[in-house]
Amino acid sequence: MAPYTMRNTVDRLDKPSTYTANKVEALKNRKRNRNQRDDDREGGREKTPEFQDNLKNATTLYVGNLSFYTTEEQIHELFAKCGEIKRLIMGLDRFQKTPCGFCFVEYYNHQDALDCMKYIGGTKLDERLIRTDLDEGFSEGRQYGRGKSGGQVRDEYRNEFDPGRGGYGKALTEDLDDEKILR
Amino acid sequence: MADAESGGRRSGGGYGGRGHQNSKKRRYRGDDDDHYERRPQRRRYQEPLAQKVRRELLQIAESQTRTPEDDARNIATIVVEGFDDLEMVKSFHELILQLVLEQPFKIPFVAVVIIYANQQKTEIAEETLARAGQKAQQFAEAGSWREFKLVLRFLACLQRICDGEGVFPILDELFNKAADLQEQSAEDAVGLELVKIILLTIPYALQERSPAFEERTRDLLAKTEIIADAPHTLHSLVDPYPAVPEGVERPMAASSVISLLQKQLQHESENNWEFSCIPKLIQNVAPGPDGEAAVKKHTFPTIIIPEAVNPGSRPLFPEIYFSLYADQELETVPPTTDISSTLLRDSLVDTINMLDFNRTAVAQCLIDLDLYWAQGTFVGRGKQFDTLRELAADGKKIWKPEDMAVDAVFSQIFQLPSPEHRLVYFHSVITECCKVAPAAIAPSLGRAIRFLYTNVDYMDLELAYRFLDWFAHHLSNFEFRWKWTEWTGDVDKTNLHPKKAFIVGIIDKEIRLSFAKRIRETLPQIYHPLISEGKEKDTPDFKYASDQVPFAKEAREIHGLLRNKAPDGAFAGPLTAIARASLDHSPTSNPLLPATDAFVTAICFLGSKSLSHVLSCIDRCKDRLLALGRGQLVTTHPDTTTENGDNDALEAQPEIVTGDGAAVKRQIVQSVVSYWRDHPGIAVSLVDKLLNYTVLTPQSVLEWALMTGSSGLPDAGAQAADGADATNDGMGMGVGEAGGPREAGRAGSKLAEAYVYEMVASTVAKVTGRVRQIVAMRTRGEVPEQHVAMLDEHLERERADMRGMLESVKDAVGGVASGAADGMIEAEGQVPVSQEDLQLRKQWGLRWYKVFERKGIVEEGVVGEAAVQMAAEVARKAAEEAEANDARLAVKEETGTDEVKMEDANGEANGYGDVANGDDEIR
Repeated sequence: MAPYTMRNTVDRLDKPSTYTANKVEALKNRKRNRNQRDDDREGGREKTPEFQDNLKNATTLYVGNLSFYTTEEQIHELFAKCGEIKRLIMGLDRFQKTPCGFCFVEYYNHQDALDCMKYIGGTKLDERLIRTDLDEGFSEGRQYGRGKSGGQVRDEYRNEFDPGRGGYGKALTEDLDDEKILR
Repeated sequence: MADAESGGRRSGGGYGGRGHQNSKKRRYRGDDDDHYERRPQRRRYQEPLAQKVRRELLQIAESQTRTPEDDARNIATIVVEGFDDLEMVKSFHELILQLVLEQPFKIPFVAVVIIYANQQKTEIAEETLARAGQKAQQFAEAGSWREFKLVLRFLACLQRICDGEGVFPILDELFNKAADLQEQSAEDAVGLELVKIILLTIPYALQERSPAFEERTRDLLAKTEIIADAPHTLHSLVDPYPAVPEGVERPMAASSVISLLQKQLQHESENNWEFSCIPKLIQNVAPGPDGEAAVKKHTFPTIIIPEAVNPGSRPLFPEIYFSLYADQELETVPPTTDISSTLLRDSLVDTINMLDFNRTAVAQCLIDLDLYWAQGTFVGRGKQFDTLRELAADGKKIWKPEDMAVDAVFSQIFQLPSPEHRLVYFHSVITECCKVAPAAIAPSLGRAIRFLYTNVDYMDLELAYRFLDWFAHHLSNFEFRWKWTEWTGDVDKTNLHPKKAFIVGIIDKEIRLSFAKRIRETLPQIYHPLISEGKEKDTPDFKYASDQVPFAKEAREIHGLLRNKAPDGAFAGPLTAIARASLDHSPTSNPLLPATDAFVTAICFLGSKSLSHVLSCIDRCKDRLLALGRGQLVTTHPDTTTENGDNDALEAQPEIVTGDGAAVKRQIVQSVVSYWRDHPGIAVSLVDKLLNYTVLTPQSVLEWALMTGSSGLPDAGAQAADGADATNDGMGMGVGEAGGPREAGRAGSKLAEAYVYEMVASTVAKVTGRVRQIVAMRTRGEVPEQHVAMLDEHLERERADMRGMLESVKDAVGGVASGAADGMIEAEGQVPVSQEDLQLRKQWGLRWYKVFERKGIVEEGVVGEAAVQMAAEVARKAAEEAEANDARLAVKEETGTDEVKMEDANGEANGYGDVANGDDEIR
């Protein structure tokens, strides 16, 4: 049985975002359903749901809202304050292979990753508020932006001008270009 | 500080603006986060009682309009009326203790809720007392003394509803244990901790006024005096200003907390136990409907302090009262003679350390500080410093809540030997405070910084480094804004001057978190020369690009090979060529040094694009680097090794060139540092990675940093004369291998460089951390029986290495401190070095010495033979005793006299059992 833990009197900052938690939850459900089907077929009884999930011992963090110009060294300087860094993977534009505003930081210890959530997430690096989120671990391919333009999706439709992240949203600028052509 | 789940979306004080009413508008935004926002709005429903009670309890005393008494009475009424709701009652009891442990400020308020509830429903108080007693018992057994202290404080506040002598018998027992411990060892700090708990409980215990209690207190104080007032042997270890020379005024008294507490309590005894800062809630509880006499009194829970006192998982040291504002001209914080100073500090520090998982909540709590203490304790929030003088002249109290909050956070940043959490946590709390109340906090912070800067010269070096690290990080969160003009007078001082060294260190750290051009913009003109042109370059030049430099051709060839990812064998050619040429030129020199310099510099140059680049390059070359570090340059057969270190072997065996491997390792450090001289932060992290690859040994890093002059590096002098090395690199960066005659007068200069301290401290930490890890494995009993001997042997070896390492650091810097280091004696005689410079270098030596002397003592206390044996002993005894207690209590329960409920005696029922026993080691 999972140990019963009392709720704290204030929220904890070292929890995954709802986005990541949902993703992991969905994955778990899919697995459980599969097991369920197997069990049905075999006529076995329901298995104890597994509480183990990918984030329980996570040592990797997703770091977002970086400036495109922030370097590995800068990230290293800040994030090493929470423990020795095992690996640092810069997020790259799929086509240009240039930094596109996110990265993965991998620590040696789970606790270091949690500390980082608590103490560094939401503080500034290179004068931008950065976002950290627990991550199930880096796998090849995840270093590339998934937007149409090659960068991150969130930079496609941004209305505000952000000099640290390539100006206006990519798709928006394209639309503007299209309009110009039509005229 | 209500949590979001219970109180709508409120968190940390303000209402967040993302309520459900906006759900329609937001429907098409397509954000990931919107998943929940799109839910159709539910019909209004009756809030479950449990949730309501939780919300009310969490917000107790937080309102500026309602009085805390009303809050307490209101909650008590709801709980009494809803007593049938089992879920509510259960969660109420859990939350009460959770609040006690996480928000110590609220302990008196929470106690008053129970006292009111007891007037109508005695079961509530009975259950609370039982649970609290049981918790206290667990914490005492686990050695979680802070948690024990907080629960005991809560129980002390509940004495009003108890028969008999309340908390005092437990305080007596604590004292007896403390006295035993003190008798056993002069270095005991656990006993001090117990005395501290006694002294900090008394003020709360005396909230229930009774002549008998006051009598007991006087008796106790008479006993504690001997322990509290005796100077402790470890006190000097935790002194933040350990090396203040004669004739210079100490920046702060830094008295021990228990000696202060003792005096303050004695003072209170003459003042009718006023305890002016504690809100007078308990004394003012209104009698219930049936009158005071009709209220049932309970038996105070029994708590047995274990025979073998468990020291807990965190090594204890005497605590000093660190204050940046206390006892100064304007009394903006309570003077150290006033009990308010220690009571407030204690609660503040506990809140900060317990709630590290939500820094925003901590910041809010620090800003709301004045809500939780007696009215009139503080001057209003955000009062301007200038106006305080007038108020003080009128005889008004001018304690600034902001000063107290800032003071408490800094007391943690500057805690020796180490703070409870990572330093960056405390950085983030300050940042958060500045966000919550910028206008109020910023001026206090400014005064703190000025105090620290003024006294940085004599501050413990480790603390001065923490100050530097915090300051740069803090500025990076606030657009690097600082009134630099205040310090312009120090810019022209020599780099050896502590203040100048501090400024140089700050600017470097700022640049690391940002970039040179940006930092230059934030500094007045006069500071600009401190940012050299090289710092604005992302890629430092490759010195071998110029043919003026010896071996330029070969080095460029090596660079080309590296770029083309050539196989290892390909490097043999150019490397051997350099080694041979060097031997021809100077047959007694170490031929591997110029070869290593070319190789490592080329690696750095190729990898200069980013950390990943250089790491993958090092990874490819690591075998070659490891061999060089062994003193071997294998040219044809990579697998051949030789025992023969004689240089004549070159003639006979042309495929192997040998030299002193230790010198090669130092050369590797030197080459990395030389290449990255304008970005020492990168050099520091590269050295760290090279240690992980075992290309470097801790010893070699320390030698590079601390050895001076030619004596340490017999084979380097000639090398330097060749000009191939860093002699030209200037600015103290090239001292190491280039220890030729020119450097002779500069012993100890490197000690002023913050990055050198950083490199040495992190190297030492790596080694001590490893030994601690082994010890933790050993004492936790996780190792199977048959491996214990092996582990012990391993521990033996690593511990000896660690001791040797710390000794060598102490020897080296001790030599500088006494002026006996090689270069320094010569310098005194002949080289024109000013006495001032020499004096400054001695001072650096002394400050370094203090740091590593302390590290030695602290580590011995954790991993020394005696410490390891004692830890094992304590663990064994504690296990035995817990078992015995279990058995005893189980019997009691069976016979129906259950004073303590046993449902979760194993500490599984909540997170605290785990924390208490767990591995929150010092990192």
